[in-house]
Amino acid sequence: MNYGPLIFLGVFFTVAASWLGVVLGPHLQFGNDGPATTEDTGITYPYARPGQAHQGAEVYRANGCFYCHTRQVRSKEYGSDLERHWGKRRTVARDFLWDQPLMLGTLRLGPDLANIGARETNTHALLLRLYNPRSVMPNSTMPRYPYLFEKRPIKPGQEASPDAVFVDQSSSDRNIEIVPKPEAYQLVAYLQSQKAEAVILEVLPPLPPGGATNVVSPGGTNAAIATPATNAPATNAPSAK
Amino acid sequence: MEPQASRASAAEIDASCRWPVGFLLTKSLGWLLVASCLSVLSSIKLHAPGFLANCSWLTYGRVQPAAWNCFVFGFASQAALGVALWLSARLTGTLLVGARTICVGTVLWNLGITVGLLGILAGDGTGIESLELPAYASPILFAGYLAIASWSIVTGYQRRGEPLFVSQWYLMAAIFAFPWVFSAGHLMGVFFPLRGILQAAVQVWYWQNLFTLWLSFIGLAILFYLLPKLTGVAVPSRPLAVFGLWTMALFGSFGGMYRYLGGPIPAYMVSTGVVGTVLTIVPLLAVAMNLWPVYRSRVQSEESVNVVRFVGFALVSYLVHGLLTVLSSLQAFGRITHFTLLTVAMDQLFLQGFVGMALLGATLYVLPRLFEINWPSLGFTRFYFRCVGGGIALGVIALAAGGIVQGLAMENATIPFFDVVRRYVPFAGTSTLANLVIAFGNFVLCAAVSLQVLLWLAERYVPSVWAWFQPSPVVREAKA
Repeated sequence: MNYGPLIFLGVFFTVAASWLGVVLGPHLQFGNDGPATTEDTGITYPYARPGQAHQGAEVYRANGCFYCHTRQVRSKEYGSDLERHWGKRRTVARDFLWDQPLMLGTLRLGPDLANIGARETNTHALLLRLYNPRSVMPNSTMPRYPYLFEKRPIKPGQEASPDAVFVDQSSSDRNIEIVPKPEAYQLVAYLQSQKAEAVILEVLPPLPPGGATNVVSPGGTNAAIATPATNAPATNAPSAK
Repeated sequence: MEPQASRASAAEIDASCRWPVGFLLTKSLGWLLVASCLSVLSSIKLHAPGFLANCSWLTYGRVQPAAWNCFVFGFASQAALGVALWLSARLTGTLLVGARTICVGTVLWNLGITVGLLGILAGDGTGIESLELPAYASPILFAGYLAIASWSIVTGYQRRGEPLFVSQWYLMAAIFAFPWVFSAGHLMGVFFPLRGILQAAVQVWYWQNLFTLWLSFIGLAILFYLLPKLTGVAVPSRPLAVFGLWTMALFGSFGGMYRYLGGPIPAYMVSTGVVGTVLTIVPLLAVAMNLWPVYRSRVQSEESVNVVRFVGFALVSYLVHGLLTVLSSLQAFGRITHFTLLTVAMDQLFLQGFVGMALLGATLYVLPRLFEINWPSLGFTRFYFRCVGGGIALGVIALAAGGIVQGLAMENATIPFFDVVRRYVPFAGTSTLANLVIAFGNFVLCAAVSLQVLLWLAERYVPSVWAWFQPSPVVREAKA
């Protein structure tokens, strides 16, 4: 008997089945999902990332930050993410609409970064953390990124740059300052754009008494937003009104 | 091509495989050494972050994916191709055809890996875990694959019409699956990426199928060939083995999504992944029922002892990894172990413990036959096995224990994160030790193989090359 064609077809169809189920099906279902506008505030979510943060995503990718940091907050059934104040709500598919590449991360050797922009608003502190993490957290295992910074001598009589994260003036003849390169600023801008906190339909926070947020889709119909982009129970939709 | 009438002898087949398969296997051992050095580097960086921090090429986020890709494509896939060619020639009893094209393909494959690794280290990785190879490297690899693997099919096709051995089923399934999975993954992940969260679906689909349909099927093909061969005991049930193959292909390829348990993915996608993963217990049992009795009844001839330890280690790793995967896809267990070092331990158990050990066993079995040398000795393989097997076991156990400690600490929100870090660091240190031992073993293996091959070349070709520099009889007579 000749099994070659049988094996070929068998493999083809099993792989095609999982491709259909895991990739193509979900793509047909919500691959064209768009941003949503909150009616009360007029804010469209997810926010477009500013140009510098957009460049910072490339720095984040090139240096593989996502091998140790996740950018996903799970609901309380799956872990203590919310108790750790890594986010006010769980992250959902819509939060990542503009992420290219996605870089969700699957290992937490460092803390989650889905909302680092909301937690840490001080640019200088983030820069310092990139230059020498142990100066901020003593037993951190995060690598130093000195190559994102420039080491410059300060000429006698000259002031240190206001941008410097570190100035060494210990010896009188040769002073040194550490100044961030553009890449460092871009990466920090990217980190500060990490705010997956907006109130959206998929995960509603516990309703404050009397207050509710009305969400409409770009098409203007409330029905369109009910496409199950996540596993939020459909019964939540009417309660949003 | 006309079907060959009679089976060729083993020696003839080995001679036809000598250059193409020998090239693939020795190249793969070289990449194994590179991969283990990169792993040492990346695991040192987990507990000594200041180590070589000034060099952007060697930052953890680049060395780690470089080590992974070097192991998976440089060593595992390349050795898998070599072993697949040899197995398909041996199992069908035909001479290997297409040796020149295979050698060209091997050069392409290695070029693709070199370019890809340099790209990752230079910061050109795509940012998608397990799909890191830059867009300018993966097509080279793909071309290399086609130039090599097609000949395994052509070789088998010369003697169509005979019943297939179990390992041929696995082998052919893997050979057919790889181009499908590799091209679809890279096209939809890197070249024409889908939007947003769907990239996670592509990544997980690719990762899962690369592991299940390509690497694990090649590993199982080796186990199903070598274990009965070494022990002289037949596989109890052929239909069960074929059933295991198809159920694994179906359930396993659906199973990857559990890696995003609780993530920002529609719940039904994760649920499908969990169901697929839990169902893989069926093919896992099928493999265990077929291979465990064969492994237990081992015959104590010197050569079989040499190789059977590697293959046995691979079998045990495969089964343990399968069970751990099922466990960690369940919410009760996954809640603790998700995002921890345990996932790293499981990947190492699969890649090094199962795939790596099966391929090393096959390499130690095939290489001496190709070059007709009486090597390696029992003492050498015992030493090498202790280095690599011990290293893998130590690393996997340390990372698994570290993962559970880390997971339990993370679960408790009153423990601040820097305390979580402090708790897992000693385990990361132990895994550096393990990686050092593995790298040392691989260095010794590579040195020994190079020495053997060089000696063989010298013995065979030095006299004839030497003869070129001798004056010819005519000249000698003229001088006289």
